[in-house]
Amino acid sequence: MEKKDNNGIIPDVKIRKEVPQLIAVLKEMKEGLDTVTSKVQALTAKVKAKQYPTADGVSYLEAKHLLLINYCQSLVYYLLRKAKGLSIEGHPVVRSLVETRIFLEKIRPIDKKCGYRIERLLTAASTDAVKVDTTENIADATQKSEDLLKYRPNPDMLDNDGIYRPPKIAPVTMEEGKKSKQERDALRKEKDTLRRVRQSEYVKSLVDDLEGRPEEVKDMIGAESRDFTKYVANWEKREQQEEELFTRAPITKAEKRKIRQLTKSNGLQGLTDDFYDEIRALPLGDEVDEKKTSGFSSASTIERRHKKRKEKVENGYYVIQSGKISGKRCIPVK
Amino acid sequence: MADKAVTIRTRKFMTNRLLARKQFVIDVLHPGRANVSKAELKEKLARMYDVNDPNSIFVFKFRTHFGGGKSTGFGLIYDSVESAKKYEPKYRLIRNGLATKVEKSRKQLKERKNRAKKIRGIKKVKAAEAGKKK
Repeated sequence: MEKKDNNGIIPDVKIRKEVPQLIAVLKEMKEGLDTVTSKVQALTAKVKAKQYPTADGVSYLEAKHLLLINYCQSLVYYLLRKAKGLSIEGHPVVRSLVETRIFLEKIRPIDKKCGYRIERLLTAASTDAVKVDTTENIADATQKSEDLLKYRPNPDMLDNDGIYRPPKIAPVTMEEGKKSKQERDALRKEKDTLRRVRQSEYVKSLVDDLEGRPEEVKDMIGAESRDFTKYVANWEKREQQEEELFTRAPITKAEKRKIRQLTKSNGLQGLTDDFYDEIRALPLGDEVDEKKTSGFSSASTIERRHKKRKEKVENGYYVIQSGKISGKRCIPVK
Repeated sequence: MADKAVTIRTRKFMTNRLLARKQFVIDVLHPGRANVSKAELKEKLARMYDVNDPNSIFVFKFRTHFGGGKSTGFGLIYDSVESAKKYEPKYRLIRNGLATKVEKSRKQLKERKNRAKKIRGIKKVKAAEAGKKK
């Protein structure tokens, strides 16, 4: 509304600007009120003729109507008082306005849920040219009609050939975001190379450099077995957690045994210098390399691998460990 | 052994105002040596962090990594010896020499407990008082 000065006198300029607006708004309000009064009069006549008994309670839509009417009433009274210049401080009409508003906002989610059904009802009512009383409860309105888009599962809808066509209530979306086989493979390959690169020595030295850690030289004879690297990785993770929490987790007897086993010298195994182990960590595009490091091997691929090995026997010789042919290939230096 | 260099790095440094201390993770690099003693570590930390009283420094839970040469542990530097006495557990104060261990005979304690098992309730208190008076 208009801003008032400290004295309570409204400046003339403002009045002149806002008066036409006010007139237009008041006109709209009067028109709205006229339509409403006519409708309400029709309804009250019907009520008096005992057409709307509330003996069974009030339905949701009826309650909503009543709330809205109450709200409009209070609003009109509020505006009247303001227009006359009377104060509204502490008047019960403000309280009733606020209460009704809160009720309306609380029932808004119910509105949203029933919205589709109400619309269906209305369209069914208009298209079927059946006069449905708007104050009937929704549960009563499930009339038997030829409309296929009925909104509840109906066993009577079983067709002649015994096929049941369910009612189409909500729209079904097709599954988007499903990745094709190529995309999945590409993602997996990327993850794999990332993991391998992270484990490589070069990247580790880079990271150490970045974090300012001093250079560490490990004197280990030969490459580390896969068991060992896995164990060390677990140990590292455990250490990180311990540092976070500033405590130490106790080492169980089984873990102590494992540590002793791994740190014990494995005989002469560590002395065999293996070229393959050194290039294992590098992400080369070699087919054989990939096959060996991928974990998805079925019986057929294992057989194929064996056959491939037998073919390539002229390129080098195999290291035999305890009667089994290991995956290590030693290429003779020319 | 002054010929072998010992390097200390601190990580995850945090000032814990609630317990009036600074806490951090210590990385000790001691190539060629078995282990660094706690006293030496405290000395080095006192120099690094300009601590007046090395009695308020506590280092604990050291573990040597695979292959030796590097060990990791935790360290605390209290603002004063009083706050250290308030917040530190008994065993660490004893290690630092700020408290003494009460030598209780283990056998006597167990015998006392077994005797108390036979009595129930208020009589236990009475028996204890009688024992003390003797």
